[in-house]
Amino acid sequence: MKMERITMIDLAYKEKLVTRLENAECASSTERLAVKRKVPRQLNSFICGLPLIVVLCLAWEIAPRVGLLSPIFFPPLSEVLVAAKGLFLSGVMTAHLEASLRRSVTGFVLAVIVAIPLGLLMGRYSRFERVADLLVQTLRNTSQFALLPVFILTLGIGEASKIAITFYASLWLLLINTISGVKSVDPLLIKAARSMGTSDLDLFKKVVLPASTPAIVSGTRLAVKASLMAVIAAEMLAAQSGVGYLIQNSQLMMQVPNMYAGILTLTCVGLFVNYILVWLEKKASEWKVSRDTSLF
Amino acid sequence: MEKIRIQGVRKTFRLKRGQSVTVQGKQTDELEVLGGVDLSMREGEFVTLVGPSGCGKSVLLDMIGGLAAPSAGAVYIDGEAIAKPGPKTAYVFQQYALFPWRNALSNVEYALEVRGVSKNERTDKAKYLLGLFGLAAFGDRYPNQLSGGMQQRVAIARALASDPEVLLMDEPFAALDAQTRELLQAELLRIWEKTNTTVLFVTHAIDEAVYLADRVVVMTARPGVIKEIVDIDLPRPRAANIRSAPEFNAHRRLAWEALADEVNKAQREMELSLAAI
Repeated sequence: MKMERITMIDLAYKEKLVTRLENAECASSTERLAVKRKVPRQLNSFICGLPLIVVLCLAWEIAPRVGLLSPIFFPPLSEVLVAAKGLFLSGVMTAHLEASLRRSVTGFVLAVIVAIPLGLLMGRYSRFERVADLLVQTLRNTSQFALLPVFILTLGIGEASKIAITFYASLWLLLINTISGVKSVDPLLIKAARSMGTSDLDLFKKVVLPASTPAIVSGTRLAVKASLMAVIAAEMLAAQSGVGYLIQNSQLMMQVPNMYAGILTLTCVGLFVNYILVWLEKKASEWKVSRDTSLF
Repeated sequence: MEKIRIQGVRKTFRLKRGQSVTVQGKQTDELEVLGGVDLSMREGEFVTLVGPSGCGKSVLLDMIGGLAAPSAGAVYIDGEAIAKPGPKTAYVFQQYALFPWRNALSNVEYALEVRGVSKNERTDKAKYLLGLFGLAAFGDRYPNQLSGGMQQRVAIARALASDPEVLLMDEPFAALDAQTRELLQAELLRIWEKTNTTVLFVTHAIDEAVYLADRVVVMTARPGVIKEIVDIDLPRPRAANIRSAPEFNAHRRLAWEALADEVNKAQREMELSLAAI
Protein backbone atom coordinates (compact mmCIF):
# COMPACT_ATOMS: atom_id res chain seq x y z
CA MET A 1 0.00 0.00 0.00
CA LYS A 2 2.73 2.38 1.02
CA MET A 3 4.80 1.36 -1.97
CA GLU A 4 1.87 2.03 -4.24
CA ARG A 5 1.50 5.49 -2.89
CA ILE A 6 5.11 6.29 -3.41
CA THR A 7 5.00 5.13 -7.01
CA MET A 8 1.84 7.16 -7.50
CA ILE A 9 3.46 10.32 -6.24
CA ASP A 10 6.48 9.49 -8.29
CA LEU A 11 4.30 9.05 -11.35
CA ALA A 12 2.42 12.23 -10.73
CA TYR A 13 5.69 14.10 -10.30
CA LYS A 14 7.02 12.70 -13.56
CA GLU A 15 3.86 13.67 -15.36
CA LYS A 16 4.05 17.15 -13.96
CA LEU A 17 7.62 17.43 -15.08
CA VAL A 18 6.75 16.20 -18.54
CA THR A 19 3.85 18.61 -18.93
CA ARG A 20 5.97 21.43 -17.60
CA LEU A 21 8.61 20.70 -20.17
CA GLU A 22 5.99 20.47 -22.88
CA ASN A 23 4.49 23.74 -21.75
CA ALA A 24 7.88 25.38 -21.83
CA GLU A 25 8.28 24.20 -25.37
CA CYS A 26 4.85 25.51 -26.21
CA ALA A 27 5.72 28.87 -24.71
CA SER A 28 8.75 29.27 -26.90
CA SER A 29 6.78 28.14 -29.92
CA THR A 30 4.12 30.74 -29.08
CA GLU A 31 6.75 33.41 -29.38
CA ARG A 32 7.82 32.05 -32.72
CA LEU A 33 4.24 31.77 -33.88
CA ALA A 34 3.44 35.27 -32.75
CA VAL A 35 5.96 36.48 -35.26
CA LYS A 36 4.80 34.18 -38.03
CA ARG A 37 1.12 34.39 -37.15
CA LYS A 38 0.37 31.16 -38.93
CA VAL A 39 -1.55 29.41 -36.16
CA PRO A 40 -4.23 31.40 -34.36
CA ARG A 41 -3.48 31.99 -30.71
CA GLN A 42 -6.57 30.12 -29.55
CA LEU A 43 -5.69 26.98 -31.44
CA ASN A 44 -2.21 27.23 -30.04
CA SER A 45 -3.42 27.47 -26.47
CA PHE A 46 -5.68 24.51 -27.19
CA ILE A 47 -2.69 22.46 -28.28
CA CYS A 48 -0.74 23.58 -25.22
CA GLY A 49 -3.57 22.52 -22.94
CA LEU A 50 -4.10 19.15 -24.52
CA PRO A 51 -1.44 17.13 -22.62
CA LEU A 52 -3.13 17.73 -19.25
CA ILE A 53 -6.44 16.53 -20.64
CA VAL A 54 -4.74 13.42 -22.00
CA VAL A 55 -3.26 12.81 -18.57
CA LEU A 56 -6.68 13.12 -16.96
CA CYS A 57 -8.20 10.69 -19.48
CA LEU A 58 -5.40 8.18 -18.97
CA ALA A 59 -5.76 8.39 -15.20
CA TRP A 60 -9.49 7.84 -15.54
CA GLU A 61 -8.90 4.83 -17.73
CA ILE A 62 -6.11 3.24 -15.71
CA ALA A 63 -7.01 4.00 -12.09
CA PRO A 64 -10.17 1.81 -11.99
CA ARG A 65 -8.44 -0.96 -13.91
CA VAL A 66 -5.52 -1.27 -11.51
CA GLY A 67 -7.80 -1.00 -8.49
CA LEU A 68 -6.93 2.52 -7.36
CA LEU A 69 -10.56 3.47 -7.76
CA SER A 70 -13.67 1.38 -7.47
CA PRO A 71 -14.75 0.39 -10.99
CA ILE A 72 -18.35 0.36 -9.81
CA PHE A 73 -18.35 4.05 -8.94
CA PHE A 74 -15.68 5.04 -11.44
CA PRO A 75 -15.98 2.89 -14.54
CA PRO A 76 -13.02 3.35 -16.91
CA LEU A 77 -13.36 6.07 -19.50
CA SER A 78 -13.64 3.56 -22.33
CA GLU A 79 -16.74 2.03 -20.74
CA VAL A 80 -18.25 5.47 -20.33
CA LEU A 81 -17.56 6.24 -23.98
CA VAL A 82 -19.16 2.97 -25.04
CA ALA A 83 -22.21 3.84 -22.96
CA ALA A 84 -22.28 7.34 -24.48
CA LYS A 85 -22.05 5.87 -27.97
CA GLY A 86 -24.97 3.57 -27.18
CA LEU A 87 -27.05 6.43 -25.82
CA PHE A 88 -26.34 8.59 -28.86
CA LEU A 89 -26.98 5.78 -31.38
CA SER A 90 -30.28 4.81 -29.77
CA GLY A 91 -31.32 8.48 -29.86
CA VAL A 92 -31.85 8.61 -26.11
CA MET A 93 -29.08 11.12 -25.46
CA THR A 94 -30.00 13.36 -28.39
CA ALA A 95 -33.59 13.49 -27.17
CA HIS A 96 -32.50 14.43 -23.66
CA LEU A 97 -29.98 16.93 -24.94
CA GLU A 98 -32.56 18.50 -27.18
CA ALA A 99 -34.96 18.82 -24.26
CA SER A 100 -32.35 20.51 -22.10
CA LEU A 101 -31.17 22.87 -24.80
CA ARG A 102 -34.72 23.82 -25.80
CA ARG A 103 -35.49 24.79 -22.22
CA SER A 104 -32.34 26.76 -21.63
CA VAL A 105 -32.49 28.52 -24.99
CA THR A 106 -36.14 29.46 -24.49
CA GLY A 107 -35.46 30.83 -21.01
CA PHE A 108 -32.36 32.64 -22.21
CA VAL A 109 -34.05 34.24 -25.21
CA LEU A 110 -36.92 35.43 -23.02
CA ALA A 111 -34.35 36.90 -20.63
CA VAL A 112 -32.63 38.72 -23.51
CA ILE A 113 -35.94 40.18 -24.67
CA VAL A 114 -36.64 41.52 -21.19
CA ALA A 115 -33.17 42.37 -19.90
CA ILE A 116 -31.56 44.25 -22.75
CA PRO A 117 -34.23 46.92 -23.34
CA LEU A 118 -34.69 47.22 -19.60
CA GLY A 119 -30.93 47.47 -19.05
CA LEU A 120 -30.59 50.13 -21.74
CA LEU A 121 -33.27 52.20 -20.04
CA MET A 122 -31.90 51.67 -16.55
CA GLY A 123 -28.39 52.51 -17.62
CA ARG A 124 -29.40 55.60 -19.52
CA TYR A 125 -31.95 57.14 -17.19
CA SER A 126 -30.57 57.42 -13.70
CA ARG A 127 -33.97 58.16 -12.21
CA PHE A 128 -35.28 54.90 -13.55
CA GLU A 129 -32.32 53.07 -12.11
CA ARG A 130 -32.63 54.74 -8.73
CA VAL A 131 -36.18 53.46 -8.45
CA ALA A 132 -35.49 49.96 -9.73
CA ASP A 133 -32.00 49.26 -8.38
CA LEU A 134 -32.97 47.96 -4.95
CA LEU A 135 -35.55 45.64 -6.44
CA VAL A 136 -33.05 44.31 -8.97
CA GLN A 137 -30.41 43.75 -6.29
CA THR A 138 -32.92 41.97 -4.06
CA LEU A 139 -34.13 39.65 -6.80
CA ARG A 140 -30.66 39.08 -8.13
CA ASN A 141 -29.48 37.86 -4.75
CA THR A 142 -32.34 35.43 -4.44
CA SER A 143 -30.92 32.15 -5.69
CA GLN A 144 -32.69 30.69 -8.70
CA PHE A 145 -32.15 27.24 -7.16
CA ALA A 146 -33.89 28.28 -3.98
CA LEU A 147 -36.77 29.47 -6.11
CA LEU A 148 -37.11 26.21 -8.00
CA PRO A 149 -39.64 24.77 -5.51
CA VAL A 150 -41.63 27.97 -5.93
CA PHE A 151 -41.59 27.64 -9.70
CA ILE A 152 -42.64 24.01 -9.45
CA LEU A 153 -45.38 24.87 -7.00
CA THR A 154 -46.80 27.61 -9.17
CA LEU A 155 -45.96 26.42 -12.68
CA GLY A 156 -46.07 22.66 -12.24
CA ILE A 157 -43.40 20.16 -13.16
CA GLY A 158 -43.84 20.71 -16.89
CA GLU A 159 -41.77 22.87 -19.21
CA ALA A 160 -42.85 26.15 -17.68
CA SER A 161 -41.01 25.74 -14.40
CA LYS A 162 -37.76 24.82 -16.16
CA ILE A 163 -38.00 27.70 -18.56
CA ALA A 164 -38.75 29.96 -15.62
CA ILE A 165 -35.59 28.96 -13.78
CA THR A 166 -33.36 29.42 -16.83
CA PHE A 167 -35.02 32.76 -17.45
CA TYR A 168 -34.41 33.80 -13.87
CA ALA A 169 -30.83 32.54 -13.91
CA SER A 170 -29.83 34.48 -17.01
CA LEU A 171 -31.96 37.60 -16.54
CA TRP A 172 -29.90 39.30 -13.86
CA LEU A 173 -26.53 38.66 -15.45
CA LEU A 174 -27.79 40.15 -18.69
CA LEU A 175 -29.42 43.07 -16.94
CA ILE A 176 -26.48 44.00 -14.72
CA ASN A 177 -24.00 43.80 -17.58
CA THR A 178 -26.20 45.82 -19.90
CA ILE A 179 -26.62 48.53 -17.27
CA SER A 180 -22.92 48.76 -16.59
CA GLY A 181 -22.23 48.77 -20.34
CA VAL A 182 -24.59 51.67 -20.92
CA LYS A 183 -23.25 53.57 -17.95
CA SER A 184 -19.70 53.30 -19.19
CA VAL A 185 -20.49 54.85 -22.59
CA ASP A 186 -18.15 57.81 -23.01
CA PRO A 187 -20.28 60.93 -22.40
CA LEU A 188 -18.21 62.76 -25.00
CA LEU A 189 -19.50 60.37 -27.68
CA ILE A 190 -23.04 61.16 -26.62
CA LYS A 191 -22.28 64.86 -26.73
CA ALA A 192 -20.74 64.49 -30.19
CA ALA A 193 -23.75 62.53 -31.42
CA ARG A 194 -26.14 65.10 -30.03
CA SER A 195 -24.16 67.92 -31.61
CA MET A 196 -24.82 66.26 -34.97
CA GLY A 197 -28.54 66.36 -34.31
CA THR A 198 -28.94 62.68 -33.42
CA SER A 199 -32.50 61.89 -32.33
CA ASP A 200 -33.13 60.07 -29.05
CA LEU A 201 -33.96 56.83 -30.86
CA ASP A 202 -30.86 57.05 -33.06
CA LEU A 203 -28.79 57.82 -29.98
CA PHE A 204 -29.85 54.45 -28.55
CA LYS A 205 -29.49 52.56 -31.81
CA LYS A 206 -26.31 54.08 -33.16
CA VAL A 207 -24.36 55.11 -30.07
CA VAL A 208 -25.49 53.60 -26.77
CA LEU A 209 -26.16 50.12 -28.10
CA PRO A 210 -22.95 49.64 -30.10
CA ALA A 211 -20.87 51.25 -27.34
CA SER A 212 -22.25 48.84 -24.76
CA THR A 213 -22.25 45.77 -26.98
CA PRO A 214 -18.99 44.35 -25.55
CA ALA A 215 -20.43 44.48 -22.04
CA ILE A 216 -23.72 43.00 -23.23
CA VAL A 217 -21.93 40.14 -24.95
CA SER A 218 -19.91 39.47 -21.78
CA GLY A 219 -23.18 39.30 -19.89
CA THR A 220 -24.55 36.97 -22.55
CA ARG A 221 -21.68 34.57 -22.08
CA LEU A 222 -22.24 34.38 -18.34
CA ALA A 223 -25.99 34.14 -18.82
CA VAL A 224 -25.80 31.26 -21.28
CA LYS A 225 -23.65 29.31 -18.83
CA ALA A 226 -26.00 30.10 -15.97
CA SER A 227 -29.03 29.03 -17.97
CA LEU A 228 -27.41 25.70 -18.85
CA MET A 229 -26.53 25.06 -15.23
CA ALA A 230 -29.97 26.02 -14.03
CA VAL A 231 -31.76 23.73 -16.43
CA ILE A 232 -29.64 20.75 -15.37
CA ALA A 233 -30.38 21.38 -11.72
CA ALA A 234 -34.08 21.72 -12.44
CA GLU A 235 -34.14 18.50 -14.42
CA MET A 236 -32.48 16.63 -11.59
CA LEU A 237 -35.20 17.63 -9.19
CA ALA A 238 -38.32 17.31 -11.26
CA ALA A 239 -38.39 16.16 -14.86
CA GLN A 240 -38.99 13.21 -17.12
CA SER A 241 -36.49 14.29 -19.75
CA GLY A 242 -33.31 16.28 -20.22
CA VAL A 243 -29.67 15.53 -19.54
CA GLY A 244 -30.06 16.45 -15.89
CA TYR A 245 -32.81 13.88 -15.58
CA LEU A 246 -30.66 11.30 -17.42
CA ILE A 247 -27.77 11.82 -15.00
CA GLN A 248 -29.93 11.71 -11.91
CA ASN A 249 -31.95 8.74 -13.11
CA SER A 250 -28.89 6.75 -14.19
CA GLN A 251 -27.48 7.25 -10.72
CA LEU A 252 -30.69 6.01 -9.11
CA MET A 253 -30.73 2.99 -11.41
CA MET A 254 -27.01 2.39 -10.81
CA GLN A 255 -26.33 2.75 -14.53
CA VAL A 256 -23.10 4.47 -13.63
CA PRO A 257 -21.52 4.58 -17.13
CA ASN A 258 -24.66 6.31 -18.41
CA MET A 259 -24.42 8.84 -15.61
CA TYR A 260 -20.86 9.71 -16.60
CA ALA A 261 -21.87 9.76 -20.25
CA GLY A 262 -24.42 12.43 -19.38
CA ILE A 263 -21.87 14.43 -17.39
CA LEU A 264 -19.32 14.25 -20.20
CA THR A 265 -21.90 15.32 -22.77
CA LEU A 266 -22.70 18.38 -20.67
CA THR A 267 -19.02 19.22 -20.35
CA CYS A 268 -18.58 19.02 -24.10
CA VAL A 269 -21.64 21.18 -24.76
CA GLY A 270 -20.43 23.71 -22.19
CA LEU A 271 -16.95 23.85 -23.69
CA PHE A 272 -18.29 24.24 -27.21
CA VAL A 273 -20.73 26.98 -26.26
CA ASN A 274 -18.07 28.78 -24.26
CA TYR A 275 -15.63 28.81 -27.15
CA ILE A 276 -18.27 30.17 -29.50
CA LEU A 277 -19.16 32.90 -27.03
CA VAL A 278 -15.55 33.81 -26.37
CA TRP A 279 -15.09 34.18 -30.09
CA LEU A 280 -18.22 36.29 -30.31
CA GLU A 281 -17.05 38.45 -27.43
CA LYS A 282 -13.75 39.00 -29.14
CA LYS A 283 -15.48 39.99 -32.36
CA ALA A 284 -17.81 42.36 -30.54
CA SER A 285 -15.05 44.19 -28.72
CA GLU A 286 -12.52 44.23 -31.53
CA TRP A 287 -12.71 48.00 -31.74
CA LYS A 288 -11.68 48.39 -28.12
CA VAL A 289 -8.08 49.19 -27.45
CA SER A 290 -7.51 46.22 -25.23
CA ARG A 291 -8.00 43.13 -27.31
CA ASP A 292 -7.44 40.57 -24.59
CA THR A 293 -10.28 38.27 -23.72
CA SER A 294 -9.86 35.60 -21.10
CA LEU A 295 -11.15 32.12 -21.73
CA PHE A 296 -13.21 31.97 -18.58
CA MET B 1 -23.76 89.99 -42.82
CA GLU B 2 -24.21 88.99 -39.20
CA LYS B 3 -24.23 85.24 -38.70
CA ILE B 4 -24.04 84.73 -34.96
CA ARG B 5 -25.20 87.07 -32.25
CA ILE B 6 -24.44 86.36 -28.63
CA GLN B 7 -26.49 88.69 -26.51
CA GLY B 8 -26.11 89.19 -22.76
CA VAL B 9 -25.29 85.55 -22.20
CA ARG B 10 -24.78 84.44 -18.62
CA LYS B 11 -24.32 80.99 -17.25
CA THR B 12 -24.48 79.96 -13.62
CA PHE B 13 -23.94 76.40 -12.50
CA ARG B 14 -25.39 75.11 -9.29
CA LEU B 15 -22.79 72.98 -7.57
CA LYS B 16 -23.52 69.55 -6.20
CA ARG B 17 -24.64 69.31 -2.63
CA GLY B 18 -21.72 69.60 -0.23
CA GLN B 19 -19.59 71.59 -2.66
CA SER B 20 -19.13 75.30 -2.46
CA VAL B 21 -16.91 78.07 -3.72
CA THR B 22 -15.75 81.31 -2.18
CA VAL B 23 -16.52 84.31 -4.32
CA GLN B 24 -15.33 87.66 -2.99
CA GLY B 25 -15.17 86.29 0.53
CA LYS B 26 -18.65 84.78 0.46
CA GLN B 27 -19.41 81.11 0.36
CA THR B 28 -21.93 80.03 -2.22
CA ASP B 29 -23.01 76.91 -4.08
CA GLU B 30 -23.59 78.85 -7.28
CA LEU B 31 -20.76 79.21 -9.71
CA GLU B 32 -21.06 82.03 -12.21
CA VAL B 33 -19.10 80.94 -15.27
CA LEU B 34 -20.18 83.50 -17.83
CA GLY B 35 -20.97 86.99 -16.63
CA GLY B 36 -22.70 88.57 -19.60
CA VAL B 37 -21.13 88.02 -23.00
CA ASP B 38 -22.00 90.05 -26.11
CA LEU B 39 -20.43 89.18 -29.42
CA SER B 40 -21.38 89.37 -33.04
CA MET B 41 -19.77 87.33 -35.79
CA ARG B 42 -19.94 87.98 -39.53
CA GLU B 43 -20.73 85.25 -42.00
CA GLY B 44 -17.58 83.41 -43.02
CA GLU B 45 -15.54 84.93 -40.22
CA PHE B 46 -12.86 83.01 -38.34
CA VAL B 47 -12.86 83.96 -34.67
CA THR B 48 -10.62 82.44 -32.03
CA LEU B 49 -11.49 82.55 -28.38
CA VAL B 50 -8.79 82.64 -25.71
CA GLY B 51 -9.01 83.00 -21.97
CA PRO B 52 -7.82 81.48 -18.72
CA SER B 53 -8.99 78.00 -17.79
CA GLY B 54 -12.51 77.87 -16.42
CA CYS B 55 -13.65 81.15 -17.97
CA GLY B 56 -16.52 79.50 -19.79
CA LYS B 57 -15.15 79.26 -23.34
CA SER B 58 -16.41 75.73 -23.84
CA VAL B 59 -19.75 76.55 -22.26
CA LEU B 60 -20.16 79.37 -24.73
CA LEU B 61 -19.47 76.95 -27.55
CA ASP B 62 -21.99 74.49 -26.13
CA MET B 63 -24.62 77.21 -26.15
CA ILE B 64 -24.01 78.11 -29.78
CA GLY B 65 -24.15 74.41 -30.58
CA GLY B 66 -27.45 74.10 -28.75
CA LEU B 67 -26.01 71.66 -26.23
CA ALA B 68 -26.49 73.94 -23.23
CA ALA B 69 -28.94 76.70 -22.43
CA PRO B 70 -27.86 80.11 -21.13
CA SER B 71 -29.06 81.14 -17.68
CA ALA B 72 -29.78 84.58 -19.12
CA GLY B 73 -29.52 86.16 -22.56
CA ALA B 74 -29.68 84.31 -25.86
CA VAL B 75 -27.65 83.12 -28.82
CA TYR B 76 -28.93 83.72 -32.36
CA ILE B 77 -27.84 82.20 -35.62
CA ASP B 78 -29.26 84.05 -38.64
CA GLY B 79 -31.54 85.85 -36.22
CA GLU B 80 -33.05 82.66 -34.79
CA ALA B 81 -32.58 81.83 -31.12
CA ILE B 82 -30.84 78.50 -30.51
CA ALA B 83 -32.68 75.97 -28.36
CA LYS B 84 -31.30 72.63 -29.51
CA PRO B 85 -28.57 71.29 -31.83
CA GLY B 86 -29.45 72.46 -35.30
CA PRO B 87 -28.34 71.47 -38.80
CA LYS B 88 -26.40 74.69 -39.24
CA THR B 89 -23.74 73.94 -36.62
CA ALA B 90 -21.09 71.27 -36.29
CA TYR B 91 -18.76 70.59 -33.40
CA VAL B 92 -15.14 69.40 -33.23
CA PHE B 93 -13.78 68.28 -29.86
CA GLN B 94 -10.30 68.12 -28.40
CA GLN B 95 -10.57 64.37 -27.82
CA TYR B 96 -11.80 63.69 -31.39
CA ALA B 97 -14.94 61.89 -30.15
CA LEU B 98 -14.93 59.43 -33.04
CA PHE B 99 -17.07 56.34 -32.68
CA PRO B 100 -14.50 53.61 -32.07
CA TRP B 101 -16.71 50.85 -33.49
CA ARG B 102 -17.01 52.60 -36.83
CA ASN B 103 -14.22 52.89 -39.36
CA ALA B 104 -13.06 56.30 -40.59
CA LEU B 105 -15.40 56.35 -43.58
CA SER B 106 -18.48 55.38 -41.64
CA ASN B 107 -17.59 57.85 -38.90
CA VAL B 108 -17.76 60.63 -41.50
CA GLU B 109 -20.95 59.10 -42.88
CA TYR B 110 -22.55 59.19 -39.46
CA ALA B 111 -23.28 62.92 -39.65
CA LEU B 112 -25.23 62.32 -42.88
CA GLU B 113 -26.79 59.08 -41.70
CA VAL B 114 -28.66 60.74 -38.84
CA ARG B 115 -29.92 63.31 -41.30
CA GLY B 116 -31.41 60.64 -43.52
CA VAL B 117 -29.09 61.03 -46.52
CA SER B 118 -29.12 57.97 -48.81
CA LYS B 119 -26.35 55.39 -48.51
CA ASN B 120 -24.75 56.09 -51.89
CA GLU B 121 -24.79 59.80 -51.50
CA ARG B 122 -23.25 59.77 -48.03
CA THR B 123 -20.54 57.29 -49.00
CA ASP B 124 -19.56 59.47 -51.95
CA LYS B 125 -19.46 62.56 -49.81
CA ALA B 126 -17.53 60.88 -47.00
CA LYS B 127 -14.95 59.60 -49.48
CA TYR B 128 -14.59 63.05 -50.97
CA LEU B 129 -14.05 64.60 -47.54
CA LEU B 130 -11.52 62.00 -46.46
CA GLY B 131 -9.71 62.66 -49.74
CA LEU B 132 -9.70 66.37 -48.94
CA PHE B 133 -7.71 65.59 -45.79
CA GLY B 134 -5.42 63.13 -47.55
CA LEU B 135 -7.03 60.13 -45.90
CA ALA B 136 -8.55 58.46 -48.97
CA ALA B 137 -6.59 55.26 -48.30
CA PHE B 138 -7.59 55.08 -44.65
CA GLY B 139 -11.35 54.85 -44.91
CA ASP B 140 -11.46 51.28 -43.62
CA ARG B 141 -9.26 51.96 -40.58
CA TYR B 142 -10.75 52.10 -37.14
CA PRO B 143 -9.96 55.07 -34.89
CA ASN B 144 -7.62 53.02 -32.70
CA GLN B 145 -5.59 52.25 -35.82
CA LEU B 146 -5.07 55.93 -36.64
CA SER B 147 -2.68 58.50 -35.18
CA GLY B 148 -4.04 61.45 -33.21
CA GLY B 149 -3.62 63.80 -36.16
CA MET B 150 -5.43 61.43 -38.48
CA GLN B 151 -8.24 60.96 -36.00
CA GLN B 152 -8.72 64.69 -35.70
CA ARG B 153 -8.75 65.00 -39.50
CA VAL B 154 -11.50 62.38 -39.61
CA ALA B 155 -13.38 64.28 -36.91
CA ILE B 156 -13.13 67.53 -38.87
CA ALA B 157 -14.22 65.73 -42.04
CA ARG B 158 -17.20 64.38 -40.10
CA ALA B 159 -18.06 67.87 -38.90
CA LEU B 160 -17.86 69.24 -42.43
CA ALA B 161 -19.95 66.41 -43.87
CA SER B 162 -23.21 68.13 -43.03
CA ASP B 163 -22.08 71.35 -44.77
CA PRO B 164 -22.31 73.36 -41.56
CA GLU B 165 -22.64 77.11 -41.74
CA VAL B 166 -21.09 77.41 -38.30
CA LEU B 167 -18.16 75.29 -37.16
CA LEU B 168 -17.43 75.14 -33.44
CA MET B 169 -13.99 73.89 -32.46
CA ASP B 170 -13.06 73.26 -28.84
CA GLU B 171 -9.26 73.15 -28.59
CA PRO B 172 -9.17 70.69 -31.47
CA PHE B 173 -5.40 70.59 -31.82
CA ALA B 174 -4.40 70.80 -28.15
CA ALA B 175 -3.69 67.07 -27.85
CA LEU B 176 -1.47 66.93 -30.94
CA ASP B 177 2.28 67.31 -31.23
CA ALA B 178 3.64 70.64 -32.48
CA GLN B 179 4.35 69.60 -36.08
CA THR B 180 1.02 67.91 -36.57
CA ARG B 181 -0.68 70.90 -35.02
CA GLU B 182 0.86 73.35 -37.50
CA LEU B 183 0.06 71.03 -40.37
CA LEU B 184 -3.56 70.78 -39.33
CA GLN B 185 -3.85 74.52 -38.78
CA ALA B 186 -2.74 75.08 -42.37
CA GLU B 187 -5.10 72.38 -43.64
CA LEU B 188 -7.99 73.87 -41.72
CA LEU B 189 -7.34 77.30 -43.21
CA ARG B 190 -7.00 75.86 -46.71
CA ILE B 191 -10.39 74.15 -46.45
CA TRP B 192 -12.06 77.03 -44.64
CA GLU B 193 -10.97 79.44 -47.38
CA LYS B 194 -12.85 77.32 -49.92
CA THR B 195 -16.05 77.37 -47.93
CA ASN B 196 -18.04 80.17 -46.40
CA THR B 197 -18.12 78.62 -42.96
CA THR B 198 -18.17 80.77 -39.86
CA VAL B 199 -15.69 79.33 -37.37
CA LEU B 200 -15.46 79.84 -33.65
CA PHE B 201 -12.29 78.23 -32.39
CA VAL B 202 -11.34 77.90 -28.71
CA THR B 203 -7.66 77.58 -27.90
CA HIS B 204 -5.10 78.10 -25.19
CA ALA B 205 -2.29 78.82 -27.61
CA ILE B 206 -1.86 82.49 -28.53
CA ASP B 207 0.18 81.59 -31.61
CA GLU B 208 -2.58 79.41 -32.91
CA ALA B 209 -5.20 82.01 -32.12
CA VAL B 210 -3.37 84.74 -34.05
CA TYR B 211 -2.38 82.54 -36.99
CA LEU B 212 -5.91 81.33 -37.67
CA ALA B 213 -8.15 84.23 -36.82
CA ASP B 214 -9.70 87.32 -38.31
CA ARG B 215 -10.32 88.37 -34.73
CA VAL B 216 -9.01 87.07 -31.43
CA VAL B 217 -11.52 87.38 -28.61
CA VAL B 218 -9.84 87.55 -25.20
CA MET B 219 -11.97 86.60 -22.23
CA THR B 220 -11.50 87.48 -18.57
CA ALA B 221 -11.11 85.04 -15.70
CA ARG B 222 -14.31 83.60 -14.26
CA PRO B 223 -17.00 84.89 -14.45
CA GLY B 224 -15.96 85.23 -18.06
CA VAL B 225 -16.76 88.34 -20.05
CA ILE B 226 -15.07 89.65 -23.16
CA LYS B 227 -12.07 91.68 -22.18
CA GLU B 228 -10.71 92.68 -25.52
CA ILE B 229 -11.05 91.89 -29.20
CA VAL B 230 -7.83 91.98 -31.22
CA ASP B 231 -8.30 92.39 -34.97
CA ILE B 232 -5.79 90.35 -36.92
CA ASP B 233 -5.41 92.11 -40.25
CA LEU B 234 -2.76 89.82 -41.63
CA PRO B 235 -3.17 88.98 -45.31
CA ARG B 236 -4.70 85.68 -46.44
CA PRO B 237 -3.88 83.03 -47.49
CA ARG B 238 -1.42 82.84 -44.63
CA ALA B 239 1.73 80.87 -45.16
CA ALA B 240 3.17 78.91 -42.26
CA ASN B 241 6.23 81.16 -42.10
CA ILE B 242 4.08 84.19 -41.36
CA ARG B 243 4.70 83.27 -37.74
CA SER B 244 8.18 84.79 -37.94
CA ALA B 245 6.98 88.07 -39.51
CA PRO B 246 7.18 91.21 -37.35
CA GLU B 247 3.46 92.05 -37.93
CA PHE B 248 2.56 88.63 -36.61
CA ASN B 249 4.58 89.25 -33.50
CA ALA B 250 2.99 92.63 -32.99
CA HIS B 251 -0.47 91.05 -33.05
CA ARG B 252 0.71 88.25 -30.88
CA ARG B 253 1.99 90.70 -28.26
CA LEU B 254 -1.31 92.59 -28.22
CA ALA B 255 -3.27 89.41 -27.61
CA TRP B 256 -0.77 88.18 -25.06
CA GLU B 257 -0.84 91.38 -23.01
CA ALA B 258 -4.61 91.25 -22.87
CA LEU B 259 -4.54 87.67 -21.73
CA ALA B 260 -1.61 87.73 -19.30
CA ASP B 261 -3.42 89.79 -16.65
CA GLU B 262 -6.36 87.45 -16.70
CA VAL B 263 -4.26 84.32 -16.51
CA ASN B 264 -2.45 85.77 -13.51
CA LYS B 265 -5.74 86.71 -11.90
CA ALA B 266 -7.11 83.21 -12.42
CA GLN B 267 -3.92 81.74 -11.05
CA ARG B 268 -4.07 83.91 -7.92
CA GLU B 269 -7.68 82.94 -7.31
CA MET B 270 -6.77 79.29 -7.66
CA GLU B 271 -3.98 79.69 -5.12
CA LEU B 272 -6.30 81.53 -2.74
CA SER B 273 -8.93 78.83 -2.92
CA LEU B 274 -6.25 76.20 -2.43
CA ALA B 275 -5.01 78.08 0.62
CA ALA B 276 -8.57 78.17 1.96
CA ILE B 277 -8.67 74.39 1.86
